[in-house]
Amino acid sequence: MDVAIRAVDLVKRFGTVTAVDGMSFDLAPGQIYGLLGPNGSGKTTLIRLLTGMTKPTAGHAEVLGVRMPDRPNLARIGYMTQGDGIYPALTAGENATFFAAVYGVEDAARVTEALALVGLADRRGTVAATLSGGQRRRLSLACALVHRPPVLFLDEPTVGVDPLLRVQFWGHFRALADAGTTIVVSSHVMDEADRCDELLFVRDGRVIARGGGAELRAEAGTADLEAAFLHFAGEGAVAA
Amino acid sequence: MNPRRLRAIVRRVVSEIRRDRPSLALLFIAPLVITGLVTFIVRESGTPDVHAGIVSGRLNQVIAGPLEAALRDQGVTVIDLADEPAARTAVADGTVSLAIVLPADLTGSITLVTNGLDPAAEGAQIGAVQKALISAAVSAAGARAPTVTHETVYGVPSDDPITSFAPAIVGFFVYFFVYVLTGVSFLRERTGGTLERLMATPVTRGEVVGGYTIGFGIFATVQVALLLAWSLGTVHVGAIGPLPAFAVGLGIPMAGSPLLAFLVVLLLAVGAVSLGIFLSTFARTELQVIQFIPIVLAPQFLLSGVLFPVSTLPDVLKPLVALMPLGYAVDGLRQVFIRGADLSVPALQGDLAVLALVAVFFAAIASLTIRRDVV
Repeated sequence: MDVAIRAVDLVKRFGTVTAVDGMSFDLAPGQIYGLLGPNGSGKTTLIRLLTGMTKPTAGHAEVLGVRMPDRPNLARIGYMTQGDGIYPALTAGENATFFAAVYGVEDAARVTEALALVGLADRRGTVAATLSGGQRRRLSLACALVHRPPVLFLDEPTVGVDPLLRVQFWGHFRALADAGTTIVVSSHVMDEADRCDELLFVRDGRVIARGGGAELRAEAGTADLEAAFLHFAGEGAVAA
Repeated sequence: MNPRRLRAIVRRVVSEIRRDRPSLALLFIAPLVITGLVTFIVRESGTPDVHAGIVSGRLNQVIAGPLEAALRDQGVTVIDLADEPAARTAVADGTVSLAIVLPADLTGSITLVTNGLDPAAEGAQIGAVQKALISAAVSAAGARAPTVTHETVYGVPSDDPITSFAPAIVGFFVYFFVYVLTGVSFLRERTGGTLERLMATPVTRGEVVGGYTIGFGIFATVQVALLLAWSLGTVHVGAIGPLPAFAVGLGIPMAGSPLLAFLVVLLLAVGAVSLGIFLSTFARTELQVIQFIPIVLAPQFLLSGVLFPVSTLPDVLKPLVALMPLGYAVDGLRQVFIRGADLSVPALQGDLAVLALVAVFFAAIASLTIRRDVV
């Protein structure tokens, strides 16, 4: 199997707290992977390790065959942070143009393309601070896509997003994956999980289960993913 | 007014501030430190060290002898100088801080020559010399009290006092505003999540600091240009209808090149950009960026010769003066404004070199505060 993202015995400790506790996995290209787990389970730290934003205490990560951290490799990675991470005083177009520039994109048409992809083409000249919450999330996604990265990390991309926009977002993610982009989406919303090709249940810094949604439900013998998560977390009694 | 709601709000405000240790420190400790420093400077500022040179005329036997003795009583070191041109050269090159030119006969007045760069400090020196003169006149029985004229090597002592104050004020306010603007902007970059996102791109830390420096440098350039134009220029506007004629601009005289003054302030401003980026690391809110002012900027204001002449500061504080970037800018600006110094003047060269080094140093430590493990 081709490997887009690889984690090898990844460990990250902050003082006495172990945020990521020995994770190892390979992720294939052109798939959508869901990192599912409660708040504080280590999802964001894992994404920061995979993007090279923080150094592992032990182990290592590779993205597209390159050991992270590696600055030039960041040009092939898109990252949508939990917060909007956009400049409120700039217009939507200026935000996307700025990120295109720092990613080294020279083709101005990419900005138009990214804004159109998230349905903000007609808001290009609108100052980001005056966009609605949903529009700001869409702009944030456009800024992560503007350089057409083959690997995309999305940290809780649908937090605060209304159901209609959430459906649109997943439509974008699926189209990108079909075009060959590897997408890692972190979420604590279980009902989004079935839209992923594969799920990694994360708890206390470890991957406690991995597989397709149906596969995990069947293995856990539960009707929904939330109960399956609790089953794998060893809290079946609570779930019942 | 609902007392329960009121109590809840008060409790929240108190809890919030109680947990904000930097704010607590600034609220309670900073005022003590600043007022303590001001009081210490005001109380302990003594007569500056005066190195006087005396040009003796034929009155040597009448006044010079008692005067030298009186000057030494005041703690003034005295050397003999050949003539007035030699005295002016000695003042200009710093061999003496003040020259006393005694008159050729009893009808003439005594001329005191200083370099004119720091009128406040020179005023204190002149005061010390005048005390000695009175004492000398008393001991030289029969001599009438001498008249004293003050002249300066650069500028004229009767100038508007703002002449010496303006260079310091221009430097200080540029430093102040550039620091606040950069500190707040970069804090927003840190807290708004854009810095994290930026660091997930191939951008380097040097590019971030460089980009900020140039970006704010543009605003600093405009700010400095406006401030210098406002300070140096005077535009006379004639009467318009019932409005009488008036002048716009401060019209402060400048002996040197405005471009050199611009260069001094711009280097200071570049250092202020990096300082703002560096200190934003230690702030969590915009208020905290402002709260650093008493810690970072107030000591510079007090110890850089803006308000108190450096030469009159208490000895224990003098070593700190060399650590204040603003001090080099104030001195450089005074060299340009009053002395008319150009790039061949070593004092100005030194000021510019230190300001450039400070800018580079703070840029380096500012880039270290932008954390990313990617090299």
